[in-house]
Amino acid sequence: MTLANTGAGRRTLEVQPWAEFPVNQGALCRKGWTSGGLTGHRERLTTPLLRDRATGEFRSVGWDDALDVVAGTLAAIREEHGADALAVFGGGGLTNEKSYQLGKFARVALGTSQIDYNGRWCMSSAASAANRAFGVDRGLPFPLADVEQAEVVVLVGSNLAETMPPAARHLDRCRENGGEVVVIDPRRTSTADRADLVVQPVPGTDLALALGVLHLVISGGHVDESYVAERTSGWEAVRDHVAAWWPERVERVTGISVPELHALADLMTSHRRVMVLTARGAEQHAQGSDTVLAWINVCLALGLPGREHAGWGCLTGQGNGQGGREHGQKSDQLPGYRMIDDPAARQHVAGVWGVEADSLPGKGRSAYELLEALGTPEGPKALLVHGSNIVVSAPNATHVAERLEALDLLVVCDLVLSETAAMADVVLPVTQWAEETGTMTNLEGRVILRRQARRAPSGVRSDLDVIAGLAERLGSPVPFSTDPETIFAELGRASSGGKADYAGITYERIETELGVFWPCPTPEHPGTPRLFADAFATSDGRARFLDVEHRGPAEPCDGEFPVHLTTGRVLAQYQSGAQTRRIRELPDGGAFIEMHPLLAARIGVADGMRVTISTRRGELTAPARVATTIRPDTVFVPFHWLGVNRLTHDALDPASRMPEFKVCAARVEAA
Amino acid sequence: MRPLGGRSATPRERLVVVGHGMAATRFVEQLVAGGYPGHVTVIGEEPVPAYNRILLSAVLEGTHDASAIRLRSPEWYAEHGVELRLGTRVLTVDREHGDVMLVDGTCVPFDRLVLATGAIPTLPPIRGLVRPDGSLHPRVHAFRSLADCERLLAVLPVDAARAVVIGGGLLGLQVARALSVRGVATEVVEGGDTVLSRQVTPAAGTILARSLTQLGTTVYTGARATKLIDHPEEGGPIGVQLDNGFVLDADLIVLTAGGRPSVALARGAGLQVRRGIVVDEHLASPTDPRIHAIGDCAQHAGQVTGFVPPAWEQAVVLAQRLCGADLDYRGSRNVARLRATDLEVAVLGDPVAEPGEIVEVSNPVAGKHSRLVVRDGVIVAAALVGDLSRVGLITQAYDRGTVLGVREPGDLLLPETAAPLAPLPDDAEVCACAGVTAGAVRACGSLAEAQERTRATTGCGGCTQVCSRLVGEVPVREPREPREPREVVSPVRS
Repeated sequence: MTLANTGAGRRTLEVQPWAEFPVNQGALCRKGWTSGGLTGHRERLTTPLLRDRATGEFRSVGWDDALDVVAGTLAAIREEHGADALAVFGGGGLTNEKSYQLGKFARVALGTSQIDYNGRWCMSSAASAANRAFGVDRGLPFPLADVEQAEVVVLVGSNLAETMPPAARHLDRCRENGGEVVVIDPRRTSTADRADLVVQPVPGTDLALALGVLHLVISGGHVDESYVAERTSGWEAVRDHVAAWWPERVERVTGISVPELHALADLMTSHRRVMVLTARGAEQHAQGSDTVLAWINVCLALGLPGREHAGWGCLTGQGNGQGGREHGQKSDQLPGYRMIDDPAARQHVAGVWGVEADSLPGKGRSAYELLEALGTPEGPKALLVHGSNIVVSAPNATHVAERLEALDLLVVCDLVLSETAAMADVVLPVTQWAEETGTMTNLEGRVILRRQARRAPSGVRSDLDVIAGLAERLGSPVPFSTDPETIFAELGRASSGGKADYAGITYERIETELGVFWPCPTPEHPGTPRLFADAFATSDGRARFLDVEHRGPAEPCDGEFPVHLTTGRVLAQYQSGAQTRRIRELPDGGAFIEMHPLLAARIGVADGMRVTISTRRGELTAPARVATTIRPDTVFVPFHWLGVNRLTHDALDPASRMPEFKVCAARVEAA
Repeated sequence: MRPLGGRSATPRERLVVVGHGMAATRFVEQLVAGGYPGHVTVIGEEPVPAYNRILLSAVLEGTHDASAIRLRSPEWYAEHGVELRLGTRVLTVDREHGDVMLVDGTCVPFDRLVLATGAIPTLPPIRGLVRPDGSLHPRVHAFRSLADCERLLAVLPVDAARAVVIGGGLLGLQVARALSVRGVATEVVEGGDTVLSRQVTPAAGTILARSLTQLGTTVYTGARATKLIDHPEEGGPIGVQLDNGFVLDADLIVLTAGGRPSVALARGAGLQVRRGIVVDEHLASPTDPRIHAIGDCAQHAGQVTGFVPPAWEQAVVLAQRLCGADLDYRGSRNVARLRATDLEVAVLGDPVAEPGEIVEVSNPVAGKHSRLVVRDGVIVAAALVGDLSRVGLITQAYDRGTVLGVREPGDLLLPETAAPLAPLPDDAEVCACAGVTAGAVRACGSLAEAQERTRATTGCGGCTQVCSRLVGEVPVREPREPREPREVVSPVRS
């Protein structure tokens, strides 16, 4: 979309579709149409807030005072407890420039290893799986529009039509072209309404389903043997293992009947251009990365990755979910998707930053582990939060709120007084998307540019200014720029030679080429819309089959908590709702508890009646939404509202450190 | 992965596993996963590495490639430091010396012994079945091992136009269906009054037998084969004489009339044996706690199961115990499924004998029969014949012991009814992307106007048809017809 100046005298901006842009071709959902709605919003923060220790109330202060207080406290804590007592929590909504600058700020100005971001709770399982299987993590290894040319598109745990509605048009076009769409989800969502085959497994069993599909791929003789021999390694162990996942066993675990499983496998084995796209439903589990690997195994056995209009991809969840994880916000990574424990990577990045490689800290804690450590004797004492509303979006949120309260200093940068900002010692008002320039990298690995469209309200600064101001006060060995284009050029140099190589990308190229796909190592390089045609990004160029086993949910249902709870989004809201809940045109009905009529009858409630849902961690009361579209043994609650994540489980994936957002054991009763 | 066994100062426990079937394989996998520190030796009678025995009928039917049922390769065992001895048999267990003797006279010492010897097929009392030298009649096939399956496949389809399957249990029906799919005219002889008499009620068995007949397989119930009659001509069919006087001509005969736990070793070693090798909640013999039994050969709490799921649960419990966990085996919930094209049966627990209230839906005309046994709101057993549309859900409720509502068991057996389509009220939201109601679209003169004024249809595009109808236009594209059921491409290889 674009913003057009339509006001006669005053500068008023209106959202307009941008039909030339190839990803959505101008289509928008109501969140896009109303995204200008926070302009001049009365809840918009326009001055730094400092909590008065005596009264506990916020008072407005000037920027210099606020930054002095923050820097002074950070320095004192660092003096007493060491640099790792300072922590940074970023977000997948920040621009590449901010993500990059935040990672550099943590390592250089603060000197801490303790930085991670909310993307850990979003795409990390897919990222971990893709890195292990293909040697690189780019959400989609092909442009989104390739979906239209696929013969079969399998969506595993994606509600595309509600979470990224314009993208659903590609599905429709795929079907117009004769393609078939499969949706795998415990709920028959509006995405499932446009599917040819809907498969509704028990939450937390997508992995077993994939093992079952692979079993049928093998038993039916559909393995692409030459592809497996020439382009992969590790096949034998996987092949032998899935012999133990015959259809009837899969049926018992997943709740998917044998004929349904056959229908799914038949569809996938009888076409050449097959695409498997995973999303949060498959990934937000304590076995999320293994689940993704299991589906990648299916794709590799069928010889799909690298084939035109086929293969595996991940549907990114946040605006800059992809770019946000490439430039150093992650506890174990440096810019360019380099690993922080790789000596060559440290040398290169330190060189660009103008510091000694030895001065860079090592690996820090992952997002949830970082939050859990806050205020503990070994853990950080101060936390800076950029672009995240932790107390709404973290799992087991009651516990997380307690950890935030145990901090000596909590600083939150936000547009509005979010639930997390309301707990802070210092709140810094920052720019909204239209008020700043910066790049983002979308789900296709396409780097796009968002130009500033209007001036920020007075009193509001960019996160880049906050970072530079703090760095200076903390005596950073190197200065921090506040100009996005300068930072982007530095990011390009830092990423040069890395997996996500931006070295050849400039603002100018992005604008003329409607985005540039990484890797793009030189100004002459055309960018890389499609990966894997000839080789994978592993050391030997082969993709890896990894033998994964179904472990099931961390918290199985039992007599006390007999139903599965799963969470997700609704169309009109986004993430923690800090912005969308404040936009008048977006309906905000609050949380609801979706359940099947069979379950509603069991507990004696009807549509709209109040229901209390409880787990071992907390409870929530909300109206029932009775629908035949959900599995009768499962309830769904959207996560945009405070309280929902007090219910969710904090078991972590061993590889990706993703919490188990998508399944836990719950009990429902009439309130 | 590291090989089993650490560098501890104490001598490593020597663990010997007798048997190399489903239970033993699962057991060894779990030992490896749990980091069991001892030295493991597996002794298997069959010469091939572990395979998935329960898929043999699928291999016979042709839906499964024979190469796709191997569970673990010899390399896998070597990689994990497990000693694998195939194609040999244990003759005796010497508890006093703590070793087992193999047929070639070698002795393998053990500190701990796991018997996973499985079951052996019972030979029905049919005259002429076994020849004077003790071998089976050349036209008669057992169906227990991969070798049996390969031998049977080798005589199909050219040599066999007609087959008689002795036994109308789960395996018998699977084999009969498999042969029939392979183009062999097949008849089933079952001594009981109905097929699957141990799993389902007579009413369900009768419905199932009729479905089988409709699929081209004749079922003779209440009839026993008593004698084989050789044809005077070489290569001609043989006759199967039934106790009711009929003689069925057949080119081959397959025995599937059940099995019994293989207990000879245990009995020889002086362990307590009833129908199976008796084990306690630690899956250990009460006679000798160093000796365990799992799978089809074991008898726990008076039960011998003969199915893979309980065998695997026993394997997991025992392996985890040996890896240091403190847990007991408390019995299993079993789900048995018939694996055969066009024949749908699921049996949960024991729906014939389990006490409880019965909820049943029967439609013999459509070949469907469903029975739930419910106690205190919990499904404690079930049989589903001919209609598996809710099998996933019912199995979940059974496995988790979910307490259901009063009407729920009945509702689970009835098909979901779709709500009738009502005209959309004006305040119904039709376009979620732009937040547009039906009334707002109706107020427009054309789809183009609706798009311009309300932005309906311009997001995900999913409401285009509804909006077209609301403004009185013919939809651009008709909703797709529900697809024909996909023709199942028969993977049978000739």
